[in-house]
Amino acid sequence: MESRKQDLDTIPKLLHNRALEYGRHQIAMRKKDYGIWNEYTWQDVYEHVKNIAYGLLSLGFEKGDKITIIGDNDPEWFWAEWAAQSLGGAAVGVYIDCIPSEVKYYIEHSDSTFVFARDQEQVDKILEIHGQLPKLKKVIYWDPRGLWFYDTSKAVAMKVLEDLGQKHAEDHPDLFEKFLSQGKEDDIAVFCYTSGTTGLPKGAMLSHRNLLYAVGVLEQYNRFLPMENYLSYISPAWLTEQILGLCGGVLIPLVLHFPEKPETVQVDIRDIAPHIIFYGARLWESLASTIQVKITDSTPLKIFFHNLALRISHKKLEAKEKGEKIGLLLEILHRLADFIVFRPLRDRIGFTKNKVGYTAGAAISPDMMRLFHAIGINIKNLYGTTEASLISLHRDDDIRYETIGVPFEGCEVKISEEGEILVKSGGVFVGYYKNPEETAKVLKDGYYHTRDAGLFDRGHLVYLDRVDEMIELSDGKKFSPQYTEIRLRFSPYVRDVMVFGGEGKPFVSALLNIDYDNVGKWAERRKMTYTTYIDLSQKKEVRDLLKGIVEKVNSVLPEYARIKAFVSLHKEFDADEAELTRTRKLKRKPIEERYKEILTGIYEKKESIKVESQVAYRDGRVGMVRTEIIVNYLN
Amino acid sequence: MSGEIRLEIKNLTLGFGNLVALSDVNLQLRRGEILGVIGPNGAGKTCLLNCISGFYKPQKGQILYQNKDLLKIPAHTISQLGISRTFQNVELYTGLSSLDNLLAARHIHIQYGLLSALFHFGPSMREEVKHRRAIEDIVKLLEIEDIRDHVVGSLPYGLRKRVELGRALVQEPEILLLDEPMAGMNVEEKEDMARFIIDINELKGTSVMLIEHDMGVVMDITHRIAVLDFGNKIAEGTPEEIKENPVVINAYLGKA
Repeated sequence: MESRKQDLDTIPKLLHNRALEYGRHQIAMRKKDYGIWNEYTWQDVYEHVKNIAYGLLSLGFEKGDKITIIGDNDPEWFWAEWAAQSLGGAAVGVYIDCIPSEVKYYIEHSDSTFVFARDQEQVDKILEIHGQLPKLKKVIYWDPRGLWFYDTSKAVAMKVLEDLGQKHAEDHPDLFEKFLSQGKEDDIAVFCYTSGTTGLPKGAMLSHRNLLYAVGVLEQYNRFLPMENYLSYISPAWLTEQILGLCGGVLIPLVLHFPEKPETVQVDIRDIAPHIIFYGARLWESLASTIQVKITDSTPLKIFFHNLALRISHKKLEAKEKGEKIGLLLEILHRLADFIVFRPLRDRIGFTKNKVGYTAGAAISPDMMRLFHAIGINIKNLYGTTEASLISLHRDDDIRYETIGVPFEGCEVKISEEGEILVKSGGVFVGYYKNPEETAKVLKDGYYHTRDAGLFDRGHLVYLDRVDEMIELSDGKKFSPQYTEIRLRFSPYVRDVMVFGGEGKPFVSALLNIDYDNVGKWAERRKMTYTTYIDLSQKKEVRDLLKGIVEKVNSVLPEYARIKAFVSLHKEFDADEAELTRTRKLKRKPIEERYKEILTGIYEKKESIKVESQVAYRDGRVGMVRTEIIVNYLN
Repeated sequence: MSGEIRLEIKNLTLGFGNLVALSDVNLQLRRGEILGVIGPNGAGKTCLLNCISGFYKPQKGQILYQNKDLLKIPAHTISQLGISRTFQNVELYTGLSSLDNLLAARHIHIQYGLLSALFHFGPSMREEVKHRRAIEDIVKLLEIEDIRDHVVGSLPYGLRKRVELGRALVQEPEILLLDEPMAGMNVEEKEDMARFIIDINELKGTSVMLIEHDMGVVMDITHRIAVLDFGNKIAEGTPEEIKENPVVINAYLGKA
């Protein structure tokens, strides 16, 4: 941070400065390709950005234009975004699994003139809707496999664009630098579309100032050293990656690492051993269940040592939480446990050098936070929203698992009478694109209204739920379904769950999705046979397993919020069927609507319910499934 | 397809004792085409492939490739000439990683001798890098990056078949013989495999002889089809012609 000068007020200006400072002596990025890590120095990155920018100019890019980028985390995504920002433009990130109609909405709504797409699959999506996008000038792709024979009037390879750029640069020297110097910190840098749990996605505009602010506040609670390793894994369509990867990568600066493919990340992360990791809450959850399942699968001796080490570690954590002095014996035992069990474990999952792991996006259960700390991973809750950027975080010596940390200095947080979290800070966004009404609704008196319900507990902020999701039960008490859901999801056998209650529902009930892989393995160990997901989900043994899990969670809930009945659903919630958002959050209304019959059955206290449901198969075909599912009641 | 004939099978007859597996079969494979070979079980499809790759020695006939009769040369030289194959039942080194399986198949292109291999630098090192690069191209093409270092024995069937296709491809064949590459696969895996075969054919101009039972796939991706029945070739033509051919319908596709 010391090296940040006053006039370096945009990300591209900082990038230029890094190139001057480090040139070809320091690595800026590593991308695994052909099975080896390919390196890019700061000078390489700067030149790519410059060439792409010139290329865009030669194809008619104008100051303030927007580009849409759809792809995995690749250096090319970063270059394209920085190139657009160098020219005073902004970037819109799109998740790779979006369907053409969603992609069309983002391109159209953001008025993007160029689209950067990863590969043939993504280019095909855009060419399918190309005719309906009059403002779109060109599609640029960076993985040319399978695209050799495509119509170049619509789509060109990034290599071609860079060649065009180089020619353009010869004719217009210094034009790029001119654009660069014209950039201001209040220029819009990115559009982040809100995940759209309600209504159409809104394009939140964030300026360079917003992003630089967010990296600045992170450094209040964590000292990053220049050139630490960072794994770019969560999609830059999400603001958090924009902050840490695209902005922090240049500002701190970090060495950005890109996995070969999303599927190879488990191997790649071991190569890198990143210092800083940013996973969504769901990714931490799946990492935890992978660890648990792998351990249950190993030899009795290993299981014994693992459990013993875990007990020691938990004991130490407990003492620390209570503020007790840690005895010498415990300290020695813990060191031993760490050496024998946890170090190798951390090595297996690529956490040998890790200083901090952030989790954000959805609440994570305290039990799981405790588990990660027990195995020596410094995981912290980072709270923020697309519109208000980063709000609070745990300090290193002050981690309380049930909270979302302490608000950053310079970030004013207050709780409204309704119980809503309101925020005022340098991170609060500029507004929604082309939507002043919605902007006015959430930005009042300089405060951003998060619609998150929360409270302060001894200086820490506690997140309860979305204000609109807090449910008033029939006896007038308020409860948060999400609070229960994350605790249920902590079980490796529960993939998803939605909890119901409130109006017209005399008690609390739940729809559960079993985790097919983990429950399948569990069943195999018991020599149970099963055919499909449907079959497995309704097995008596599986339902009993779930019953035990629900009972355990119930025991920590107040009487009125306990689950009285649940159903093990015959299918998984699916983003392609609009039951989940792309970040795997529940879309509550569509789910409730869709499983109306089941819910009615539960509240009519039926033993079982016949269901007929449309399912989309992996290959895209759609079929009907008829089956009978059993309602499980708890005393 | 009017490409030049690359592989010509003439009057091929193969018998085991009194059992006639192939009788007087004539067939040509042209440059850059995908030729489907179909027929009921026991029609002699795999025998045909085994004759080409030198596993079986037929009693009569010729298989001409590059002005040589493949029946007259040792089996191990056939792959060096540019003909590679996959097997109906996957035949990989199950104890080796995917990568090592591919590297092993690359031996036919390795130039350096034993002595320079002993001192692993200079020319032999450069060659190793070159071969690894060629293999990684195939790894990328077949999208098996994530199983690169997995032991083949631990892989599911669909992926093993993919590795096996990879092994045939790293030999950079001019002619690729595929024996039921999609058997036992689900729809998604079949689609992937079909895409790979088309890619290989279009990108590298490889001629493909494809034995497959899934008629949907065969009709979709082949340029020409030959039909075998009890060792006799009963028809040959484009997929459209074959679909209409009464003899084929009778023998194989089933009466409508």
